[in-house]
This record gives sequence, structure tokens and C-alpha cells, in this order.
Amino acid sequence: MTVTGYLTFEIRRVLRDTKFLLFAVVLPAGLFLLESGLFTDVAGRGSAAYTMGGLAAFGALKAALDAGSRTAVERSSGWQRQLRLTPLSGGGYLVAKGTVAMLVAFPPVAGVALAAFVSGVELPAGGWAWAVLGSWAGTVPFALLGLLAGQLVTARNAQVVYGGLTLVLGFLGGLLIPVGVFPPGLAAVAQALPSHWLAELGHAAATGGARLGAAAAVLALYTVVLGAAVVVRYRRDSART
Amino acid sequence: MERTHRHAVAAHGLRKHYGDVRAVDGIDLLIEPGEVVALLGPNGAGKSTMIDMLLGLTRPDAGEVRLMGETPAEAVRGGAVGVMLQEAALLDDVTVREIVVMIASLHRAPLPVEEALRRAGVTDLAGRRPARLSGGQKQRVRFAMALVSDPGLLVLDEPTSAMDVGVRREFWAAVRSLTGAGRTVLFATHHLEEAEKHADRVVLVRDGRVVADGPVAAVISEVGGWTVRAAVPGALPEELRALPGVTAVELRGDRAELRCADSAAPLRELLARFPAAHDVEVRALSLEEAFLRLTAPLPEEV
Repeated sequence: MTVTGYLTFEIRRVLRDTKFLLFAVVLPAGLFLLESGLFTDVAGRGSAAYTMGGLAAFGALKAALDAGSRTAVERSSGWQRQLRLTPLSGGGYLVAKGTVAMLVAFPPVAGVALAAFVSGVELPAGGWAWAVLGSWAGTVPFALLGLLAGQLVTARNAQVVYGGLTLVLGFLGGLLIPVGVFPPGLAAVAQALPSHWLAELGHAAATGGARLGAAAAVLALYTVVLGAAVVVRYRRDSART
Repeated sequence: MERTHRHAVAAHGLRKHYGDVRAVDGIDLLIEPGEVVALLGPNGAGKSTMIDMLLGLTRPDAGEVRLMGETPAEAVRGGAVGVMLQEAALLDDVTVREIVVMIASLHRAPLPVEEALRRAGVTDLAGRRPARLSGGQKQRVRFAMALVSDPGLLVLDEPTSAMDVGVRREFWAAVRSLTGAGRTVLFATHHLEEAEKHADRVVLVRDGRVVADGPVAAVISEVGGWTVRAAVPGALPEELRALPGVTAVELRGDRAELRCADSAAPLRELLARFPAAHDVEVRALSLEEAFLRLTAPLPEEV
């Protein structure tokens, strides 16, 4: 396997970026501590455990997208061109980058769960496992979205595009403000966003999982569509000019 | 493709246009294994587009490329081609050794990493990150990346552009040590001197076409190699142009400058037909002048 050496290299690079990793964990955990006091009553059906689902989702998708934004930089700087002149396949590159995105998505989820635990949220052991592993596994389409955007935007625009995606998915998906306080139109928009359903995965740990099937189906659909888009785009990029 | 199978590089009818710009306008190139070839031309002559097409980074509008009998993609996948790109960035969050180790891990039969570092002259830089290196040092790192796969064909795009004279000499010594083993090297440069010193053969490119191809000396002599200057009162440009062996004429007042393929014949005729000619000066064209004449986009003829 030629990819393992490259994957090791990429993992080492991202682990070295301690500032990035620290911020990825501290931001959603901090927001959780802030919001679990703020929104529990407003949200109606809310509880700190419910808030945990939203912020775990936010932390995970933000980290996955940020990891993807590195591919935009590497594409603009010419590093990708250089890799194309090695036996590393396009598939190998994408698999490694996607793996790294998933890897960095885990600590934020774990961090929010830890903050929830420390601030007194009570769940059965299975509930904790579900809250953490479910939210994390559901991040796959966001890792793919990060790779897709990385192939479309330049390094110059990367910050704006990735920042915009994170905010839209976070706010409109109801991760930062509960959908319960949205006007009806906006609440309908939230239903269409994958981030809303990623949060539902986490919410299921607190609410018993009535909408689990729908969440899994929507996220699977996004995974297939975004995965196909990444592959098509990469092929086109390789064959370009 | 049997006919081209033996060639390290075989390109036929390569063409690439960007809108109205004919970056590469019909180039054929055959390179034998073991040759060291300079792709020489001024900036914007089409060298980089040419190299991108040879490597499969850019798809030609027309034409075909084979590297050691394979398509560029196959040759790259097999590790048969080592490439130094001019503008490709290096990562700044890893060390030089980590980059070379990673590249080596992608290949089936790479050189030992330490040997690649040593041959490229970057052993003492191995623990450092590219951000802190000079332009010339970065080029040597790129060279280590290119040679770690132990490739049969090295393609170097303007390899010494960021190097000072001493580093440049060391760099070429390193390249030389590799070519002994029958490796083929194709490098692009806009320095005639570099082509002359380090290549067995020069392919001169201008406006997307090959304008000369052969050993440096042959390419230079092809241009026609003398300038005759003289004060020639009363001479008309047509008369001077008609002298045997004269290829171009410039006349300012009495002062004529004749470009000649030969030195003796035009001079004899000049003095015979214009007895008043004086202040005669005959000079061989320097390499640099020859190069400028070969590569000037619009050759000046009167």
C-alpha cells in the first residue's frame, strides 16, 4: 500500500498543529458551557443533553471543514501538482485527506461530551457512547464537503468560503441556536441541511431517538452525493487544460 | 509506437493554444536514453507548457507523448520520471527529511533516503523546515524529491533560477554524477551558457516552435556567425544586402553593420565595390548575440 506512508505524513502534520486542534476542541466545548445555561428553557423540549448534540455536531463539522480547507491551500500553492508527479493516486490523496478530516473531527465531539459530563449531564453509558460515536460517524459528509470545496476554491477565497459554510451550517442548521426558536420558514430551511440531521444524531442520545432513521438516511444521502461530486471533480481537475 | 519505443522522450506534433496565444505550436522531440538535453528559450517561449505536456500535467490540443514507451501517466505511476517543478511550493510544517521520506514511501524501489539527501546536497538541511531555507536550498530539496525514486528520466524546469554561482556549480556536479549511469536529463533554461556547459544537445524554442536542435556548437554556427562593421560613404542598403554571404544589414548614416554567414567573402566584395570604405571591423558573433538572434521574437532585417 503506497497510501500508508502518505497518510502517516498527513496525520503527523495535523497533529503538529496544536493551536488548530486546541481551538477546535475549546470553541464548541466553551459554547456548550455558555449555551447549556442559556437556551435550555427557551428551546422548550431542551436540556443540557440536547444542547450537547448541537455543539458536538458544530465542533465536528467545523474541524472537518477546516481540515478540508488545507487542500485548497495545497492546490493553489502547487504542492498538489507536485504530488501528481508521484505514484500517489488521486484516490489515495482523497482517502488520506478524508481520513485526516475525520480524525480531527473526533476531539471536538469528545470535548463537548466531556464538558457535558463535567457540568452534570446524566446519561446511561450507552447514551454517552451513542452521543460521541454517532455524532462523529455522522461527520463523514462534512469531511467530503471540505474536500469538494478544497477543489473548487482558491487559497485566497478559502477562508471566506469555509467560514461561510461553517456559519451557515452551524446557525441555520440549528446547532448554535435551537431550531425551536426559529421562525417557521427558517425552520424548514434547517430541515434541508445535513448539519441539522447530524445534530439529530446526537440529540437522539438525549431524546430517545425518534428521528434516528430519518437522520441516518439524510446523512447517507449527502454522503453519496458529496462523495460522487468529489470524485467527479477530482477527475475533471486531473484532466483539465 | 514500436518506432519510438527506445526513446526516453518521444513527442510528436505537440500543440497547445490558449485563446490566440500559440504557447506550443507543433513540436516534435525525440530524446535517446542517456542524453542530457537543454530546452533553451527566452521566457514565454513555451518551455513550461512543453514540459507540462511531456509530464501529462497539461493535455495537448494535438499530438502525442511517450516516455520510455509509456504514456506520461504510466511513467509517473511507475516512478520512471523524476521532476523538479519551478514554482511548486514546499510544505512549511514538515522537515526536509519528512518530505523526502514521504515521497520515497510512494515508490516501489526508491533510493535510501539518506543517499537521496546526500546526492542532492541537503543532508545538513534534513532537519529543517522549508520556510527557513533560501531559494537555492529549496531547489536542492526539490532535487532530492526528484531523484529519490531513482528515475531513469529527470525533468528539471529552470532548476538553477534561484541559485547563486557557487551553488549552481555544485548542483550541476550533482546532476552530472547521476547522468553517468545512463540517466536521461531534460532541463529547461533561458541561460545559453548553462545549456552550453551542461547539455550534450540544445533544443532551441521560440514562439512555441523548435528553431534549432543539435549540439551547441552546431546550433550556434547555424545562425551565421560574423558581424562586419564599416563606414561606407554613399552605399545603399540594397547594395550592401546584395553582397555575397550577407544575411542582414543595418545602416545609420555612413555606418553599416553587416551580419554575415562567412567573414572573408563579404569583406572582399565590400572593399572591392566600395573603395571608400574605411574603419572596417570584423567580429565573430558571441554566443549571447547568437542566442538573442535565434530567440528574438521579431528578427530585425532591413
